[in-house]
Amino acid sequence: MNRNPLCKPEEHQLSRRDWLGGIAGATAAGTLGLSGLPLLAEDLKQQQKQVLFVWLDGGISQLESWDPKPNTEFGGPFRSIPTSVPGTHLSELLPQTARQTQHLAIVRSLCTQDNAHSSGVERIQRGDPKNRGVVYPYFGSAVTKLLGPNDSGLPPYVWIKPMSGGFMYKDAGFLGPKYGALAFGDGQPPENLLRHSSVTAADLIERSELRAAADAEFAKRQRPGPTEANGFVYDMGLELMKRMDLFDRTAFSARDVVRYGTHDLGRHLLQARRMLEAGVRFVKVNSYGWDSHGDCFNGSLSLVSKFDQAFAAIIEDLATAGMLDNVLVIAMSEFGRTPRVNGHLGRDHWPEAWSLVMAGCGVQRGVVVGKTSENGTYVTTEGYDIGHMFHTWFRALGIDPVKTEYNNQGQPLPIAHEDCHAVLELLA
Amino acid sequence: MQTTSHFRMKAGGLSATVLLGVALPFMSVVVFQAVFVLTVSAADELHVRIDRQIVAAAKGEPVASSANDATFVRRIFLDLAGRVPSWQEATQFLASREADKRVKLINDLLARPDYARRMQDLFNAMLLERRGENAEWMRFLHVSFETNKPWDQLVREVLHPDPNHETTRGAAFFHTKRLDKTGQQETDYPGLTRDVGRLFLGMDLQCAQCHNHLFIDPYKQHDFQGLFAVYQNTFIRSDVTFPAIGEKVMTKKLDFMSVFDKLPLATGPRVPGGKEIEIVQFEKGQEFFVPPDRSKNFLGTPKFSPLEALANELPVSSNRAFVDNIVNRLWFVMLGHGLVTPLDQHHVGNPSSHPELMEELGREFVAHGLDLKWMIRELALTEAYQRSSEVPADGNIPPLATYRIANVKRLSAEQIMASVLVATGGRDHSPTIVPAVATATTSVAEQTPEAKKVEPTKTEKLRMAFVKSLANAPQDPEIEFAPSLQSSLFMLNDAAVLDVLTPQANNLIDRLLNQPDTAAIADELYLCVLTRTPTSAERAVVASHLAKHADRRSAAITNLAWSLLASTEFCINH
Repeated sequence: MNRNPLCKPEEHQLSRRDWLGGIAGATAAGTLGLSGLPLLAEDLKQQQKQVLFVWLDGGISQLESWDPKPNTEFGGPFRSIPTSVPGTHLSELLPQTARQTQHLAIVRSLCTQDNAHSSGVERIQRGDPKNRGVVYPYFGSAVTKLLGPNDSGLPPYVWIKPMSGGFMYKDAGFLGPKYGALAFGDGQPPENLLRHSSVTAADLIERSELRAAADAEFAKRQRPGPTEANGFVYDMGLELMKRMDLFDRTAFSARDVVRYGTHDLGRHLLQARRMLEAGVRFVKVNSYGWDSHGDCFNGSLSLVSKFDQAFAAIIEDLATAGMLDNVLVIAMSEFGRTPRVNGHLGRDHWPEAWSLVMAGCGVQRGVVVGKTSENGTYVTTEGYDIGHMFHTWFRALGIDPVKTEYNNQGQPLPIAHEDCHAVLELLA
Repeated sequence: MQTTSHFRMKAGGLSATVLLGVALPFMSVVVFQAVFVLTVSAADELHVRIDRQIVAAAKGEPVASSANDATFVRRIFLDLAGRVPSWQEATQFLASREADKRVKLINDLLARPDYARRMQDLFNAMLLERRGENAEWMRFLHVSFETNKPWDQLVREVLHPDPNHETTRGAAFFHTKRLDKTGQQETDYPGLTRDVGRLFLGMDLQCAQCHNHLFIDPYKQHDFQGLFAVYQNTFIRSDVTFPAIGEKVMTKKLDFMSVFDKLPLATGPRVPGGKEIEIVQFEKGQEFFVPPDRSKNFLGTPKFSPLEALANELPVSSNRAFVDNIVNRLWFVMLGHGLVTPLDQHHVGNPSSHPELMEELGREFVAHGLDLKWMIRELALTEAYQRSSEVPADGNIPPLATYRIANVKRLSAEQIMASVLVATGGRDHSPTIVPAVATATTSVAEQTPEAKKVEPTKTEKLRMAFVKSLANAPQDPEIEFAPSLQSSLFMLNDAAVLDVLTPQANNLIDRLLNQPDTAAIADELYLCVLTRTPTSAERAVVASHLAKHADRRSAAITNLAWSLLASTEFCINH
């Protein structure tokens, strides 16, 4: 809820929009200056926009992926290969992705601030804004807030990750816990999603209808907010219960299972595709184990190959289904890896010059932006911080990152670092 | 003060109020049935004066009539006992013909053990904001409300906990839980500083950490830093198993600068808006009352204690912010909306909706020795509290801050859990939900060695399940009704919830199953769960539902009961 002391008490009353998506849509609309206006065509387009955010935790090596430097001082053992975009080469560890490169925008000139995992992950995913003593939302929470709810009835911000799941409220920062992520640990459903054996399917329908009827009666006599909020979370719960297929691995075609790969990242990206098809606004998929301080080359051979298989498959599928027009895809880490190879045949943390890849909604296709030095140590073009990427992503989603502000209890806050700007070459 | 008398028509019966004095709150009013209300303002009880101000501020706009007895008995039980009334308690109240039965019920509930338990849960959620629980902390709260400890004393015990006093030392948990390190995060001293301002002064000084607040003129960086000077000097004591904080020897002021003008500044400990406390210096070797003992991992008790100085200066009647904060929070608890909203944004730019009332409440609260129970009783006695929450037929919904209709209130996880048990239990089910001295803890590390051995009771496990699913996330104040996907899935599918809907001797479902008469089923169900009689339309729904599912009557009855437990009407205090 908006807790701005400057607004009128009536504005604190709960409204239907507050609860759509389990989030304060009214606040988002207010922030975007849409309050009170009829839905425009532009808003309808906004309705459809989605994000797939692939997080390679620990740091994928740019030299073994997006910015190969074969036959150079620090280039490592792998070759580079041509791609579907003439003149663009990727590491030979990305053969499948090389066939989808016409859909991608590759950034090779990231230069960020933090080389520690513990702070770096948060710093990057929160967009590393100027310190104003508040905790900024992760990109997923930010998008959920700024785009508002869509009409899928599903949780807006879903996180598919290995290990445990739960409600990851801390992602939301000052936006408040309701903008946090609903995490499906190993793609498994949240607690209590399964109907209890003592309740039949018919009972469940009966119960829900009776509850809705009771609430409808109560709403006739009372302020409308609470019954709307209650109805919304029950509808969402029941909707998600109906979508057990989102968690049913047996429902995927054998061909897709093979294409995406039977490893975690493959299974999780395949599940992510289904979540996007079902209308979830923001899907984050995590892959762990990328921190290759030792034996980076065997590590990359294994990890990058798995990523390549699954990532190329989902890009291909989204493109084929026409979904890339609406789905912004981002794949990245908290930093890159040192060009210099350490004594353990590993690469360490390197925020000075690294790469990420994006595709889809609002993004230029088949481009490479930025260059690094011959040996990959430094960026030789304009270096981009994560703030530049936030500006670019927001623009790609149709959100003006300069005019739009958060309203944190009366404190106006920029949604992206005000010293950064969008990278226009990356935008369609 | 006003000295004029005035006449006023009253909705239901007409009565005259004659005052005997203000010093004896329970004895001061004698009510006669008569033709008009005679109010002698100067000596009126506070609740009468509150209503006068609320009505005056409404400027002739209509106010709702009093809520009916069924709504009232539910509301007051939830607020003062932390649960809905049992069938028996509700029936007894509804059947009573006594004119002053509401006053009697309020007095009765305030005298019951349930009151201390309710306040313990309320203040735990308010002050810890769901960061976790600790048995000693809960006991501190419980004893505090059982003995109706004055607010200034309670806060003094929190701000400067005495490790040698067994029933109050748990108060340190307010600090220790916040000083806990999580993962690789730094100890959040600024967060603790901010919370002291928010929760005891109604001032969120967060923005004043780095500079004078840009929009709130009175929030100065000195205010934040003066408090921060106290807290950045504290640590969690590791030489004892109970929650305890220690202080380092403070020898110099805290340096800081504004991020804007970069001028070096310094401050000693200071209560926001108060005078800087002088740092008392001692010669080397003379700094400690109790010197450090490394063999026991004890870091010493310095002679100069900024915490003690703060505890002596902050929670005092002359500190307006301190008094206003708690008055506003109690008002919010009872009336569903703060006179100042948000509760921690009290400043000149965000004044009280009823400034004179705020002042009067503060003055009276101080005059009554910062007596929380007295204040809660006065608020419960107001017509504003007892009004109906139903919206006017013309559809014009009054703003929350007018109190022209009663505001609905969020129920805590504890209130819902206790209410579910009462509603689904026996007719006379009025359990003390959890033993007064709770053994509840969220972390084994925080438990005392004895507590570790105790397996939580079934009720306690149930309470923890409700808190996990219905409470807000840690650090998120519980203000509005905020159901979540988590809470709906919990009510829909959790075994613990569904278990209360299985028939057991004389519980609700058992009684309904054994009741052949459909109308009686509806009556029993609605009285137990929603504390009211069903409307004729609702009776018809029950009848047709049971007729339609005659072949599976047991499921049909259970489904009806579930639907009322999951309804908004049950999940809020209206």
